Amino acid sequence: CMYVCMCVCVCVRTCITVIEEPDTLFQKLTVLVKGHDKAVLDSYEFFASMTAKELGLTLAKVSEPPKNIERLTLLKSVHIFKKHRVQYEMRTHFRCIEISKVTGSTAQVYLEYIQRNLPEGMAMEVTKTAIEKVPEHIRTPLWGDQSQAEKTSQ
Amino acid sequence: MIWRSVDLRRTALRTLLQLQLNMAASTFCPVLLPLSRINCKLNGIYTLISLNKTAAYSTGLSVKKTGAKTGLPQRGGKELRRQIKQVLQPRTERMAVDQDWTAVYPTAASFKADAVPLPVRMGYPVKKGVPPSKKGNLELLKIPNFLHLTPNAIKKQCEALKPFCTEWPAALDSDEKCEKHFPIQVQKKDYVFAGPSLRHPDARIVTLTVKLSSLNLDDHARKKMIKLSGERYNKDTDTLTITADSCPLKQQNHDYAMYMLTVLYHESWKIEAWEKEKTRADMEEYVWEDSPSQKNILETLLRIRPLSEQQEEGEVREELLGREEVQEYKDSVTKLKNEGETEGNMQQYKEAVKKLLSI
Repeated sequence: CMYVCMCVCVCVRTCITVIEEPDTLFQKLTVLVKGHDKAVLDSYEFFASMTAKELGLTLAKVSEPPKNIERLTLLKSVHIFKKHRVQYEMRTHFRCIEISKVTGSTAQVYLEYIQRNLPEGMAMEVTKTAIEKVPEHIRTPLWGDQSQAEKTSQ
Repeated sequence: MIWRSVDLRRTALRTLLQLQLNMAASTFCPVLLPLSRINCKLNGIYTLISLNKTAAYSTGLSVKKTGAKTGLPQRGGKELRRQIKQVLQPRTERMAVDQDWTAVYPTAASFKADAVPLPVRMGYPVKKGVPPSKKGNLELLKIPNFLHLTPNAIKKQCEALKPFCTEWPAALDSDEKCEKHFPIQVQKKDYVFAGPSLRHPDARIVTLTVKLSSLNLDDHARKKMIKLSGERYNKDTDTLTITADSCPLKQQNHDYAMYMLTVLYHESWKIEAWEKEKTRADMEEYVWEDSPSQKNILETLLRIRPLSEQQEEGEVREELLGREEVQEYKDSVTKLKNEGETEGNMQQYKEAVKKLLSI
């Protein structure tokens, strides 16, 4: 006899490790999705916004940038018949989802989940705006003493 | 001889079918692959049985095991055939209203008309007709479906993902506070798409934005920094934008942008020897002191009230410059030169001149 064995996953909570390194902070996370079918984009927008709500992220803006139509006019026949042409067009629809004030870990989780469930035939562009502190070497000028000396001599 | 071998094969088939139905009756059957192929060695014969996809789903029926040697009795055969017939019916007939849909579509899968209990119609309708039904509909197969991402499924998966998320620090609730504590903004882009290569050439570009007011700069350093940055500085928003795209990796471009900022900062604090030769033409904004306008005003005022012999020129100059009307005139001229000619500026200049000349 043959039996199908199912592998049971070990409890997820034991896999989480907290590192000492400070988390990156993103002031804005813009997800621009492109596709040829508007209905699929609508469904994906619903999915992405619902995920953001469930994970507790603030949805700043959900917009629909205007579509882009690329048109081609080609010859209908393989040889001669210049007056008879055929026209094609490629429509690209867009959806923009803006999320404000996310941490690096949350952004990673959200983006990975979103990207794994991206349907076939759609592309995504993610713009991350991270905020950082002024680094140590820009706090005080290296040549500060020199400039002070110059000023006093003048 | 031939008869016996055929009998054995038939028996083997029946036993295997019963085993499959038994397995199907258990709860973890939906996880089985749609096409299950069981390679089985039974009674010395290698039998490769390819079972139908519908047979792999849970039946919820219990099948009695009958004796194999003497052949199955008639009643058992009828029962078995009836059960097989039920299994071959679409799964939608046996679905409960409150079933767990995440078990039917746990992952992204193509549309299965026998597994989706919705009366969906898709396609262009025939003349005086309706769009074609879901059975054997290619349009429904072609379009990506979101049956695996129902609100319930999303909620369940988000619950599982929540432990990996971190909270935004509560102290940084407004943009101003973020700007105050974290003045540098770094913008990076990622791309997800299908193509011959997974790499996008624009993914390496890094843009660094910082407001000069948040850096430790004195007057000279600020002016020098603005001159050094040139086109990268925006006067209206007081932001310096550094775009790095010369390195192949994002991290390298980020490091380069930070290096550029560091170099700009430290260079702007340096005072070179040739900076002493800065002329009036190099000045970024109009300065009234030692300008022709000041000289003209002083001359005019001295002419109105000529110098008496006791007073010295230097003292008179100081006294004249300290007067309120002269200060007002100075403000109006500086405003005109720096901000350009506007209604308000011209009015102010007119008033100042009238006061000075006591018209």
